[in-house]
Amino acid sequence: MLQKLDEYRYLIPKSFREGMNIEGLIYASPTLIKAIENDLTLMQVANVATLPGLVGRSLAMPDAHQGYGFAIGGVAAADLQKGVVSAGGVGFDINCGVRLLRSDFRLDAVRPQIDALLNQMFRDIPCGTGKKGIVSGLSDVELDRVLELGARWAVEKGYGIFEDLAHIEEGGTIPHANPAKVSRRAKERGRDQLGTLGSGNHFVEVQYVSEIFDEEAAQSFGLYGGQIVVLIHTGSRGLGHQVCTDYLEIMQEAMRKYKITIVDRQLACVPIQSPEGQSYLQAMASAANFAFANRQMITHWVRQAFEQVLGSDDLKIVYDVCHNIAKEELHRVDGSSRKVLVHRKGATRAFPKHRPEIPPDYNEVGQPVLIPGSMGTCSYVLVGTEKAMEETFGSSCHGAGRAMSRHAAKKDITADELLRDLKEKGIHVRGASKSGLTEEKPDAYKDVSAVVEVVHNAGIARKVAKMVPIGVIKG
Amino acid sequence: MGQHNSSSSSNEMDSGFRILEHPSDIGLEVWGPDLAEVFRQAALGLTSILVDPASVRVRERRTLGLKGSDNENLLVRWLSEILYLYDGADFLVSDVEIRRLQDSSLAAILKGEKVDTGHHQFRMDVKAVTYHQLNIALDENVWTARVFLDI
Repeated sequence: MLQKLDEYRYLIPKSFREGMNIEGLIYASPTLIKAIENDLTLMQVANVATLPGLVGRSLAMPDAHQGYGFAIGGVAAADLQKGVVSAGGVGFDINCGVRLLRSDFRLDAVRPQIDALLNQMFRDIPCGTGKKGIVSGLSDVELDRVLELGARWAVEKGYGIFEDLAHIEEGGTIPHANPAKVSRRAKERGRDQLGTLGSGNHFVEVQYVSEIFDEEAAQSFGLYGGQIVVLIHTGSRGLGHQVCTDYLEIMQEAMRKYKITIVDRQLACVPIQSPEGQSYLQAMASAANFAFANRQMITHWVRQAFEQVLGSDDLKIVYDVCHNIAKEELHRVDGSSRKVLVHRKGATRAFPKHRPEIPPDYNEVGQPVLIPGSMGTCSYVLVGTEKAMEETFGSSCHGAGRAMSRHAAKKDITADELLRDLKEKGIHVRGASKSGLTEEKPDAYKDVSAVVEVVHNAGIARKVAKMVPIGVIKG
Repeated sequence: MGQHNSSSSSNEMDSGFRILEHPSDIGLEVWGPDLAEVFRQAALGLTSILVDPASVRVRERRTLGLKGSDNENLLVRWLSEILYLYDGADFLVSDVEIRRLQDSSLAAILKGEKVDTGHHQFRMDVKAVTYHQLNIALDENVWTARVFLDI
């Protein structure tokens, strides 16, 4: 059964279930582990541990909750030669992620204008269920360029500046993307959704930096107390969802050929080096690039709104991180340096200083790790650590994690009550749907601060700054 | 796990669907006297999650043939098809007629209309149909199925 290793780590031994090739490890506090034990998370972490060719441990972050196949908040690394890639290990919303923009405005300059600013952003950024993008009807050739180039495509089209790219994971373009591996159906789902926020937990928040924990890192990231910042949370929309749907079918079919048996159909996987595995990784990279382009376009409209309402569009990207992705990375495994494929399903890369993947201007501090809280609570910037490299394949948590069903959340409070409560706290909201708002009410999620405390105290990321929202755009 | 019957579920006791709720997802529990009715109810359930089903009119009919590796796989493919038609081809399904369902393959007629943003009442984006706790069973002449959707 579950073994408590120390204050923040719980081990799932191989005896937990039949067929585990590696152990499981959960990062949680005594309070958070109770929530984690309440659903199928532990079993899902153990199920992942049965997949062929994994190295290290099957991990779950403190915001973990039950997902499909993999737990949300799960991390698993596979040997590049003997291991498998699982489409479910990345999830349906490929490269769902967050981007943080910093301004030169202070809270007192923006607070009086927040309604005008939100109105402008709400007009300019397509959001909500069934909403199409402004650039709908992209040609096949153009859409393929988006999938190949990601954020770079958007910048070339005038959405942002080339300097933006340096502060995006992978520079905003995963190079091995191959649009030919993305089905026509996925492209049809994505064609009209480029440059849209979507619905559910996706948002744009105007926040201010309320607390600095690490002066040196904050300075490197350009953050200071009272500063206005903007956090954008969205992903690859229907295109990514369809890529995952397509490859779940392809992998299920191909598994027979490779004689792989799994304990949960949602864990369908194929050898990384197989034609199907390589095709998936190329399609996944294409969808990830679509998501980078999406966040880049939304950044442009946020800047436009700042220009129009506050007179300056000078918003710089602090960083942009993927929450759902599989990446080939160099890690130390069993004492030697090896390339592995790290699946992060609702987890953030958290690399320390001096890793070649991080921007040169962050080289002496490490990579910013962006942790959005639930609507109307708070968000955090952390920085990657050496300990994350040793224990979690350079990974940390990704957010708060749902604690209440959407239906239960809706029963609890009306949209008008929620809007009034938030306004009293100084948080103004624009939402595409009233029921969507109540589903995302703050206490429908775990306490993001409790989650962040665990990763900070366990040492797999370090707190840099805390942000509090003053304005929210919800899809 | 919370449960609530959808207002759109069938009035007849012997077939219908119910929405299952969980913190991280939404599910459908459907039942009927035969597998074809279970597939039909699943389609109606999915539509009722996407939009107000009362707002979808029958203005077009499309035929569909599908093959799965087993019934569970066929159900995921079936619902994925209906989801794709909405999200990728702007077609909303209001009702379906299952013409044939055997050996894990089906032929159906889909009735519905093109998406009209001015007319249809959208409810929720569905990302995908999952294999999570997917189950189809026959018990005392009643077929049931359970399927979860990522939202």
